[in-house]
Amino acid sequence: MITATSLSKSYRGTPVVQDVSLHCEPGTITGFLGPNGAGKSTTLRMIVGLTRPDRGTSRISGRPFVELPNPTRVVGTLLDPSAVHAGRSGRATLTIAAQMAGMPTHRVDELLGLVGLADAANRLVGRYSLGMRQRLGIAQALVGEPEVLILDEPANGLDPEGIAWMRGLLRDFADRGGTVLLSSHLLQEVQATVDHLVVISQGAIVASGPLARLLASSSLLLRTPEPAALARALRAAHIDYRPGPDQTFTVDVADGRVTPELIARIALEQQVPLTELRQDDAGDLEQLFFSLTATKPDHAPEAAA
Amino acid sequence: MTNATMTRPDRTAGTPSPPVSLAGIPFGRLLRVEWRKATDTRAARWLLILVAASTVGMMLAPVLAPAKIDQTYSSYLGFAGVGLSILLPVVSILTLTSEWSQRTVLTTFTQEPRRSRVINAKVAVSLLLAAAAVVFGGLVTAAGLGAAAASGRELDANLNLGVVLGYLLYVLLNVLMGVALGALFHNSAAAIALSFALPAAFAVLGYAVSSLAEWIDSSTTFEWVLQGEWSGHLPQITVSVAVWVAIPLAAGLFRTLRREIN
Repeated sequence: MITATSLSKSYRGTPVVQDVSLHCEPGTITGFLGPNGAGKSTTLRMIVGLTRPDRGTSRISGRPFVELPNPTRVVGTLLDPSAVHAGRSGRATLTIAAQMAGMPTHRVDELLGLVGLADAANRLVGRYSLGMRQRLGIAQALVGEPEVLILDEPANGLDPEGIAWMRGLLRDFADRGGTVLLSSHLLQEVQATVDHLVVISQGAIVASGPLARLLASSSLLLRTPEPAALARALRAAHIDYRPGPDQTFTVDVADGRVTPELIARIALEQQVPLTELRQDDAGDLEQLFFSLTATKPDHAPEAAA
Repeated sequence: MTNATMTRPDRTAGTPSPPVSLAGIPFGRLLRVEWRKATDTRAARWLLILVAASTVGMMLAPVLAPAKIDQTYSSYLGFAGVGLSILLPVVSILTLTSEWSQRTVLTTFTQEPRRSRVINAKVAVSLLLAAAAVVFGGLVTAAGLGAAAASGRELDANLNLGVVLGYLLYVLLNVLMGVALGALFHNSAAAIALSFALPAAFAVLGYAVSSLAEWIDSSTTFEWVLQGEWSGHLPQITVSVAVWVAIPLAAGLFRTLRREIN
């Protein structure tokens, strides 16, 4: 279990993380989503004791990270796959981590096989691709048979096959009762992997909750054989919309004012036939992500007409 | 490979978490890990070979130039000490800095968040390496003396406890100076450059102001240690050890404990 309460950090007076709280339960995968520079890495570094928060606390399995007697046995971390000694082989790198954690050396060969690096085990890490370093980093995170995993952008540098592999590995880990917290700026990666989502923008959490609930609330899809009439009706009701292909419209419902019932009543009053009125699922998380994190007009999705 | 090897044992939902009060990391284990890190890369091995080579090289001087150099046991041992102390401090610097330069501190300090224990282990490894080097230097000295004796030279067997102690302390102080600079600067290139440049700069400064040299020029004060010239120099030696070893080591430890790692 991971809990963070009101973590805050400023650098030279500029707040980087503000009042961030997280709660990750055993058996779940939590995605920590946000654009680059949103404060994801700083938050994760505060949780693992590498950065001292200005305010707030965090605990892993009930204890502050820095008070865990042998943290590797409780929590596996992958914060930067490039933070490895280029002059050591993958095997030597893992052997050091295993020795430090007090794990038997046969664990190293098991992990090299698990992450698909058995054939490259004796090559120097300096010659590894980024994807191979991610795999080595995941092996290193798993070395102490932890119950919690904290991974910063673990999908970076992995090919689609590698991402699918990691998804299966993390799902299996969570299904066995493990807790996973992973950060990402790759929406599709998060959407397919996580159960819970915490979205961070400019250092503050802007949305969090089960993935299904966050997806459900973001927009409606409308279809009509008379698009011009529907557009007129929506404008008259001051409802922002985005025209889509095949006589469709999407309407943002995140603010709670617009509901399916409201749309249905407008259509009825203006006598516009609707052939579809449902929650929009395709690409929804992407819209959510942009609507929650966009701060400047030029970064927003197509402005509503 | 089965998944069973990947994760912790199965645990059904609802059962309490296993206790996290697993034993901490014993210092002996930290020491073994740090010894491995200090010696297992190609760069580290080459450097150790160079330390050995420079010691052997220095030993050739008294063997090959008997007319210019005192043919005494203590003089031979002094050459071993100087030979060791050219590059051994660099080994110590790298033991302390390479994890910062390679950014593996990210892993090390998440595996052992009590950072002072890791630094203590690194200092201990440097001292163990110094001890091994002192023994190696003794063997090289014996070989040099053996070669000299085989050529039929008269050698003054003037070894005593003070001479051996001076040699031991000289090597240890040079190693500790490297340790301290490495602990303070967290950057291999900067620490190595400064370990050569700073004493040289202070030596020049000391040359200009000779009364200052006695107190802070480590090459002068450490030379007294090597030659066993303690009498009248103890305050100066103490001050230079404070300036070059104790203060930077303490400041480096403080910095390491506070520093944000990214």
